[in-house]
Amino acid sequence: MIAFENLDVRYGVASPPALRGLTLSLDQGIVGLLGPNGAGKSTLLKTLLGLLRPSAGGGTVLGVPLGAPEAAKLRSRIGYMPEYDALIEDASAYEQVAFWGELSGLAPEAARDRAHEVLYFVGLDESRYRSVSGYSTGMRQRVKLAQALVHSPELVFLDEPTNGLDPDGRRRMLDLVLRVHGELGTGVVLASHLLGDVERVADQLVILDKGEIRAAGSMAGLRRALAKRVELRFLETLDAAQEAALAELGSVLEARGGLYDVELAEAEPAAVFRWAQAQGATLIQLTPRHDRLDEVLLRALHGAPAGSEA
Amino acid sequence: MPIYAPTLPPAPDLTRGQPPALVLMRFDLARLWRQKIGRFFGFAFLVTLLVKLSIIYVKYLLGSNPAFRPMQDFARAVLAQGPDFQAGLLNPATTLLWFLVALVGGGLVARDTLYRVRPLMYAHPVRPRDYLLAKVGFASALPFAVLLPFVLLPWALSLMVAGLQGPVWPTTPLRLLPAMALISLLMGTLAAGASALAATPRAGVGWVLGLVLGTSTVASLVHGLAGIGSAEALNPVVLVQAWPALFAGVAQPLLGWVPTILGTAFHVVLWTSLAARRTRPSEAVI
Repeated sequence: MIAFENLDVRYGVASPPALRGLTLSLDQGIVGLLGPNGAGKSTLLKTLLGLLRPSAGGGTVLGVPLGAPEAAKLRSRIGYMPEYDALIEDASAYEQVAFWGELSGLAPEAARDRAHEVLYFVGLDESRYRSVSGYSTGMRQRVKLAQALVHSPELVFLDEPTNGLDPDGRRRMLDLVLRVHGELGTGVVLASHLLGDVERVADQLVILDKGEIRAAGSMAGLRRALAKRVELRFLETLDAAQEAALAELGSVLEARGGLYDVELAEAEPAAVFRWAQAQGATLIQLTPRHDRLDEVLLRALHGAPAGSEA
Repeated sequence: MPIYAPTLPPAPDLTRGQPPALVLMRFDLARLWRQKIGRFFGFAFLVTLLVKLSIIYVKYLLGSNPAFRPMQDFARAVLAQGPDFQAGLLNPATTLLWFLVALVGGGLVARDTLYRVRPLMYAHPVRPRDYLLAKVGFASALPFAVLLPFVLLPWALSLMVAGLQGPVWPTTPLRLLPAMALISLLMGTLAAGASALAATPRAGVGWVLGLVLGTSTVASLVHGLAGIGSAEALNPVVLVQAWPALFAGVAQPLLGWVPTILGTAFHVVLWTSLAARRTRPSEAVI
C-alpha cells in the first residue's frame, strides 16, 4: 500500500529536514500513525498525498512514485479527512459532499447519487439537506469522513477523526473506520495522538517523533511483545548473583524496590517458575503487562530511535 | 440516533468528471444563486437596460416618424449616434458593475480562506492553477455576462426597427465585445487578488472597493501633482471607461491605446500574481 526508503522531506533548501531517513513498508489495512505535535505526521501525509516532493530518498503510494507528475491523479484514488474543520458553512452536507465528489472526478449526476449513498453510510441520511453550520461536532466529523469516501478511494487518510467527540461519538466514528476497511476494503491511515483510538482499530502502528520513526510494526506483533512483559516480585530480596541470573529469563527493563520489570525471552510464564525454583527464590508476584501499550509509546518517544518495535 | 446504511455500493466511474476549474466555477455560481445578490442587482441592471432600449427606440421614432419631423434636427444635435454613443452603451452599467464585482468577487477566495477548504481542495486532484483559473474565470465571467445584454439587446433592437441605419452600428458588437472581455478580465483579476488578501468575505468586499478607490486616488494625485495624464492608466475605473471608447473609435478618448494597454496589463499581472501567491499550497496545507 505504502512504501518508502530513506525518505527526507524539507520545506526549504536551508531548513532542517521535517522528515529524515524514513524507511517503512505498510500493508493494506488500518495503520495507526502516532506522535506528538510537530512529530511530522502532517508532513508525512502531505508527502503521501503528493503535495510535497521528497528532498532525498523515495517511495510509492498505491504503486505511484512519490513526487511523480501523476501525483495529482493519484489524489483521486486517495481520500483525506483533515483534522481541522474544513466544511463549507453555507452549503448543506449533500451539496458539499457532491462537490467534493465532482472534484475527485465523478460526473455531476454520479456525484449527486454518490453523495446520498455515502451520507447514508455515515449516518447522516436524514439531515443531509440541512446547512452544516447547524451540525453538532459529531455530525461535522461524519461529513468530513463522507467527503473523504465519496469517490470510493483505495486509501483514506484520517487525521484525528475523533477530535472533539464524546465517548459515544468516538465509538461510532471508530466503528465507521472499521467498516471502511472491513466492508469497503479501503486502506486506512489514521493519524491520532489518542493511543486508545489507534489501539482499537489499527492493525499496524507507526510512532513518529521529530521527523523520525521511533517504532513501527504490526499491532499483533506489538501485543505479542507486550504479552512477554511481566512484573516479578520475590519473597526475599534477590542477591547480586540471582539478579544477574535474571538475564536468563530475558531483558530486565527496570528493577526498583524488589520489583523487576522483565521482558521474557519466551512467552511461556512457566519458565519463570522453573527459574525461581532453580535459583531457590520464592516468587510471590507475576503480573503480565499486556495492557500497557502507552508505555511502548512513551518509551519510543523518549528513548532512542527503535526502527522496528515488533 | 443515526441510521447507518448496511453498506456502500461499488465505486462509480472516476473518469467522466468535468475539469476541476469548471466544477469550482459551477459551485461558485450555485453559491451566488443562493446568496440572492441578484435580486437587487438584477433589478438595477434591468432598469438600466430598459432605459437604454427606450432611448434607442425614441431615436428610431425621432428619425422615422413624420410626426416628429420638427424635432429631428434637434434630436440629431442632442442625441448623436457616433462613436461616443456606441461606447456609451456600457455606461453606467460598468459603474454599477464595480459594486457587484466587489460584493461577489470579494468573497470568492476569502470565503474559502474563512472555511479553510482550500487546503482540502489541493488534497483532491486540484492544482493551484486550476483553483486560480476558476476564481479569476468566475470573477471575469460574471461582469462579462452582465454586460452582454447591454450590447446585444440594443444592437438587436436597433437592427430590428431601423436596419443598418439604426442608432447602434451593425459592427458595434465586434467593437465592444473585445472591450468587454478586457474590462471583465481587469475586474475579475482585481477582485480575485483583493479577495485573496482578505480573511473574510466582508473584508474581501472592502479590499476590492479599497483597491479601486486607492489606485484611483494615487493615479489622480500623480496626474495632478506631476501633470502626467497617462498616470490615469493606474486608475481601473478610467481603464474600464477607456476600452469601449478606444474600440468604438471615439475622437478624444480618456486614455490612448498605449497607456490603456500598459495600465490594464499592469493590473492584470499584479492582481493575478498576488492571487496566485496567496492561494498556493503552503506548509499549513494539511
